[in-house]
Amino acid sequence: MIELIPTSFIFFAMAGVLVCVPHGIMRGALLLATPLIAGLHIWLIGFGNFWPYEIFGFDLELMRVDRLSRIFVIIFCLASFLGNMFAWHLRDTTQQVAALLYAGSAIGAALSGDLISLFFYWEGTALASVFLIWARGTEGAYHTGMRYLIVQIGSGVILIAGVAVFYRETGIVSFDKMTLGSLGTWLIFISFGIKCAFPLMHNWLQDSYPAATVTGTVILSAFTTKMAIYALARGFAGTEILIYIGTIMTLFPIFFAEIENDMRRVLSYSLNNQLGFMVVAIGIGSELALNGMAGHAFAHILYKALLFMSVGAVLYRTGTAKASELGGLYRTMPLTAIFCLIGAASISAFPLLSGFVTKSLTLSSVAEEHRTIIWLALVFASAGVLSHSGIKIPFFTFFGHDSGKRPAEAPRHMLIAMGITSLLCILIGVFPSIFYQILPYDTSYVPYTFDHVLGQLQLLFFALLAFAILYRFGLHPSEIDSTNIDTDVIYRKWMPSLLGLLILALSRLYLRILIKISYLIKYAYRKLNETHGPKSARVTGYPSSVMVINITVLFAIALIVIFAS
Amino acid sequence: MKNAKHDNNQKFPKLGQWLTWVDKPGSVNKILIGLGLVCFILLCFDFFYPKHGHFDVENIRGFYSLYGFIAFTAVVFLAMFLRTIIIRKPDYYSSKDVNSEKYPTDGLGQVDQDD
Repeated sequence: MIELIPTSFIFFAMAGVLVCVPHGIMRGALLLATPLIAGLHIWLIGFGNFWPYEIFGFDLELMRVDRLSRIFVIIFCLASFLGNMFAWHLRDTTQQVAALLYAGSAIGAALSGDLISLFFYWEGTALASVFLIWARGTEGAYHTGMRYLIVQIGSGVILIAGVAVFYRETGIVSFDKMTLGSLGTWLIFISFGIKCAFPLMHNWLQDSYPAATVTGTVILSAFTTKMAIYALARGFAGTEILIYIGTIMTLFPIFFAEIENDMRRVLSYSLNNQLGFMVVAIGIGSELALNGMAGHAFAHILYKALLFMSVGAVLYRTGTAKASELGGLYRTMPLTAIFCLIGAASISAFPLLSGFVTKSLTLSSVAEEHRTIIWLALVFASAGVLSHSGIKIPFFTFFGHDSGKRPAEAPRHMLIAMGITSLLCILIGVFPSIFYQILPYDTSYVPYTFDHVLGQLQLLFFALLAFAILYRFGLHPSEIDSTNIDTDVIYRKWMPSLLGLLILALSRLYLRILIKISYLIKYAYRKLNETHGPKSARVTGYPSSVMVINITVLFAIALIVIFAS
Repeated sequence: MKNAKHDNNQKFPKLGQWLTWVDKPGSVNKILIGLGLVCFILLCFDFFYPKHGHFDVENIRGFYSLYGFIAFTAVVFLAMFLRTIIIRKPDYYSSKDVNSEKYPTDGLGQVDQDD
């Protein structure tokens, strides 16, 4: 009975039903029930391959449930539940349907046993999610959505090209571990890399997530990138180059996040940095590392959603998410502030919270491989995480200088969503051994050793001390309402400018050629007029009778020639 | 939005009233002293308890403390340097860009504390 329908189809079916249900409690309940049913479905169905079918001679597999895919499906269901709870007040059918289709597509991708169904779900996430950006309903959001869609669809097109080439090379379409080397695998790798926000391919993320609606960003933050992380882990675990890519990913966003004014963009950079840790773990590829990747993805979706929710609640109440316009909101939004602090402490990996027990798996796996420089870089990045997500977000939103804004506390449903998410962050941190049971591999890892807790506390508290000192002396970057350019300046400014210059140059050239040609024509006319015109020497020098005689002679010669021949 | 000067703290939620402690004169200094004390105690552990890290650097006394402090400071200063290169006006891309436009009010629930 339970095998009758793939988990992702539950979401698609419910999205259809949703349209027929009026707004209100019924629809809200449906939105909350769908991910719960799906979660229960994946939990009860057990491990194995379900729903194999053949199309055009390809063996496809819609449901491959193993420990790696299950943990991603569970967290996707959980994220969908929490996101829908946060969006309980919403009366927008488009966003509600998009949220369900988006979650369903991401879950479908995580369960795909072959590359062809992966492609369809891959594109499904792109198409469904863009409506969460467009739903903002402004011109800016429309253009941002178009840019987002171009990148996302582009990733899908590269994926299907890679799959086609890979099929020609190997004759298989099943989605298993691949070895980077051939054109097909490289294309698939790049396609994953785009959605995973690899360095230089990352800017779609920071461009689009802050443009979505209050609730849309919370939902966006969970799925696309983590689906790509799953795909990388499934296809390219143990690929050396990922270690270096991931390390760069953990480092560069922290500087951008530090000076960004839009809090939701700060969180997008922070998201990028967190993905870096997971990519490093995939590159290491050991069981401990893959546990770290999956655990970190799970915990990260929760605390990142929590942070996006708290900033979203502030945006919902005040109409802005810009650090330069916020501050001092703890007075009237104390619960939101506390939930934000829990999220901030979780992402900074304070002991007893989810970030600590999951990130340490990755760091330990790097240590086991004795990669000192990578390890030092990741620890450096951990201090960076504290600076933008741990301090900047809560401090400049809820504390810092008083903005004078006195918004009411977030609506009850948002508080419930943030409360549940906070509770999960704490539970994972306090009971890691229970959480470790759903990781892809059995582990007896103990995160709470004296060494480890002490080292982490020293790192974090001395970083906090550094902040306190720098802030006290006015050396911390002030909040300035600005645009900070990133790689998007290439295609949003430089390339259009270059194209404009090129068009200008070409049009000038064309004009010059036209002028030259008209000069030439005028010159030829004048010259002909001089030699053969009515006033030319040739015309005035000879009387017309001479011409008549000439023609007569010519005709006579012609007559003789014709007669003779 | 209300002006902060006309605040009536009694209207804040209980938790908010309680948290206003941080704005009382002297509170910030207390927090800073507390933070300094915690840091000092954490650092002291390094001199009484030998660490067993994977890497040699981990076993250097005060490594994590120093690294955390330096890393944070480095992030801040490098970011400020980066800002001088990449900062532009808010409407650099367009006056109709997400960064320069207001969030549409129909998607919001702007309610003040006093409302």
